[in-house]
Amino acid sequence: MRYIFKFPDIGEGLEEGTIVEWHVEKGQKIESGDNLVTMETDKVVTGIPSPKSGTLVKLYGKVGEIINVGDALVEIEIEGTETTEDPTDTKSHVEAVKEEGAGVVGTLEIAGSGAVLSASTEGVDETPEEAPKKRKTLATPVARAMAKDLSVDINKVEGTGPAGRIMKEDIQNYLQSAKTSAPAASSTGQVFTPEENLVEVEPMTQIRKTIAKNMIQSKHNAAHMTLFEEVEISELDRIRKKFKAKLADDGVKLTYLAFVIKATAMALRKFKSLNAQMDMDAGTMIYKKYYNIGIAVDTDKGLMVPVVRNADRLSIAEIAAKITEFSEKARDGQITMEDMQDGTFTITSYGSIGGLFAVPVINYPQAGILGVGRIAKQPIVKNDELAIGLIMPLSLSVDHRIADGGETARFVNQVMAYLEEPTALLF
Amino acid sequence: MYDIVIIGSGPAGYVAAIRAGQLGLKTAIIEKNVIGGMCLNWGCIPSKAIMESAKLFKRIGKDAGRFGIGGIDKKALTFDWSKAIKRSDGIVKKLTTGVEFLLKKNGVEIIIGEAHINSASSISVNNRNLEAKNIMIATGTKSPAIESTVEGLIIEPKELFKAREIPENIVVTGKTPVAIELAQAFNLIGKKVTILCPGDRIMPLADQYVADYILNKIKKDRIKISFETELTSTEGIYADGILSLGEDEIKCDMIVNAATRKAILPEIDIDMKLTEEGYISVDEDCQTSIPNIYAVGDVNGLSYYAHVGSAEGLHVVNHIKGIKQKLDIKKYPINMYTVPEAAQIGLTEADIKEQGYDYKISEFPMSANGKAMTEGNLDGFVRILSETKYGEVLGVQIVAPNATDLIAEASAYLEMEATIYDVAQTVHAHPTISEVFMEAGFEAVDQAIHK
Repeated sequence: MRYIFKFPDIGEGLEEGTIVEWHVEKGQKIESGDNLVTMETDKVVTGIPSPKSGTLVKLYGKVGEIINVGDALVEIEIEGTETTEDPTDTKSHVEAVKEEGAGVVGTLEIAGSGAVLSASTEGVDETPEEAPKKRKTLATPVARAMAKDLSVDINKVEGTGPAGRIMKEDIQNYLQSAKTSAPAASSTGQVFTPEENLVEVEPMTQIRKTIAKNMIQSKHNAAHMTLFEEVEISELDRIRKKFKAKLADDGVKLTYLAFVIKATAMALRKFKSLNAQMDMDAGTMIYKKYYNIGIAVDTDKGLMVPVVRNADRLSIAEIAAKITEFSEKARDGQITMEDMQDGTFTITSYGSIGGLFAVPVINYPQAGILGVGRIAKQPIVKNDELAIGLIMPLSLSVDHRIADGGETARFVNQVMAYLEEPTALLF
Repeated sequence: MYDIVIIGSGPAGYVAAIRAGQLGLKTAIIEKNVIGGMCLNWGCIPSKAIMESAKLFKRIGKDAGRFGIGGIDKKALTFDWSKAIKRSDGIVKKLTTGVEFLLKKNGVEIIIGEAHINSASSISVNNRNLEAKNIMIATGTKSPAIESTVEGLIIEPKELFKAREIPENIVVTGKTPVAIELAQAFNLIGKKVTILCPGDRIMPLADQYVADYILNKIKKDRIKISFETELTSTEGIYADGILSLGEDEIKCDMIVNAATRKAILPEIDIDMKLTEEGYISVDEDCQTSIPNIYAVGDVNGLSYYAHVGSAEGLHVVNHIKGIKQKLDIKKYPINMYTVPEAAQIGLTEADIKEQGYDYKISEFPMSANGKAMTEGNLDGFVRILSETKYGEVLGVQIVAPNATDLIAEASAYLEMEATIYDVAQTVHAHPTISEVFMEAGFEAVDQAIHK
């Protein structure tokens, strides 16, 4: 039987992904669960495992091409069953999904016409029906090839051909206007054309698109308020140095960040509005009783925010181990969708690269984000005398709709108290 | 007040008039000669009818025995031009009557007379004054006259397709496919033919590859051709059946004037912009320098093809009615009724080079096509030029006995912006000549099967 495996929605409402690398070739025998392809979606770079065992008869798309969720990814010839089914018959596939799909690949549901994650709350039944209803965009073969090649979403292009057919020229005009309109709106009024050679114009990666969308969403929706502080961490530094070598034996790097995460999680337990979000439509405040701290990680692909779950209940050593794991994953491009879900508060430690204070953008819809600046020795006044202190700058942005000024200041004081005297974290 | 008055009832004018009538516009069409214009009366239709007679004549003599038909004495075969013309006249009559019927059926007023444009909204004809919101000039073209004092020596195409004797030695002037076609028709019925070709190549609009193929063919058929030769007068160079051109002495009993045609301008009292070559200058919607006056067909110099004229005429009527469309004459086929026929569409190889495409050529010969073999016609090829990135079909050229029909498939490819992958994936029935497309498609994608 010929089985078409369609690109599943591996996250929440993904629309498309870019092929990063094929791990299999046409004609190869594969086992269920074998990694087929690495895809970059707007949230993660992730491997897609095969739902079936058999022989690969067709791979759709080359490296760099965009595949829409629900589009065919590979065709697998499954041995021992008759080839009676028309592989292009979508309907029979939706049925195949229902009877054999569930659970074959663990978290991945086999995609029907509208693929869903099994863990998703969306119903398996309603989604597949929606997708085929969408009217197929009329476009000429050349226009389609060109749109695919240049990463143009053909559904956004207006067709000028007969019956609204999208022609080659429409794609070119769309690209031209996309190029000229965005920069033209900027204050410089500059228009960039690739011909000038002074600029390089390249299509946005999925991750960059998501970052842009999220940043704007946050700035648009949250009422940002930022508070700056400095905390003296000589004692913390002493403890860190003391246990650093011990953890290094297990391959774990004990960083300042591990302490900051622990201190923040513990403080959040005392100030519930900093670990909250609001639902304006429902008119409700949602206070979360779990403390999952996202940490902003700088990768070559762009910013990613993996989450340390239940940080309040982890030891500093356990948190440090988690950070080490995430940095290795980030380096190898292995951070998964799952790693990044369910954060309740975020910490960004830009100071490890540079910068004292910043105005961090809240990871919407969370209530706050704590920025950690560059730690440096500085003169301090201690017992009316000058002394050398180790200063950590802190910048806390909160959504002022959720957290009031007093609450915010008290929260920072608590975080600082834990950082000044880390043994307090034990009590 | 007319919504539109059309001057000229050739394929540009009459098609526009029918369409205008269909759309409910008050329409008049003025014709100074006969309905149908050059195409129907002394162009496309009679020339094709005569060509069929000539091809059949040649074929019977050449192929009958080989195809198993006995009882034909090759030497006894004769060609009766006048009888062939009689058949042609029947067809012309049928078609022009049909056009007249369609014009009337769609409420178009037919006025026989010579039009005179007084202003952007006024035309006089037969002492009548017509007020018009829009005027369409579709007056066509004619070959510039060749001066001669010898009576009956110079024959215009208009005069050719009449009952007459065809002499032995014929000179055809011109470089267009029409000139080549006429020369070949005379050659097929056994006449001695010389082409006087202004310029250094025949059929300048054709891809060089196509033109070279046809040039080889006419040389093989012993048609003489003299390049860089333009004949404007026979004064002092013609005597006693000999045309003296420099050192060349050409036997010549008749000169057929098929030189590149010039605009026939209507009488007009207002200034209208012309091109350098004397055609009426128009914009992308065929509008002249005077708003509401349009020029379609040969007279605007964009093309000499009836189907292009018709398309322009329709475009203008739609434009007047506010229906937005784009006129892209590069996407219209160019047909050449040579022997074998030639046809092309889209960009030529020279165009492609000039526009800087990375391109690929895939060619499949008729000689490898089963159906062509059964018909005994092995001449020709199909040639697909595609760009390499997306595989877009940029141009198609065909030389084949029925190339002018085969090109229709390529027209659809161009209109739909198809790629070579679409060509290769379109199954063509066997045995047909059209299989050459699929084979050329296979070759463009990978490799042809039967080559």
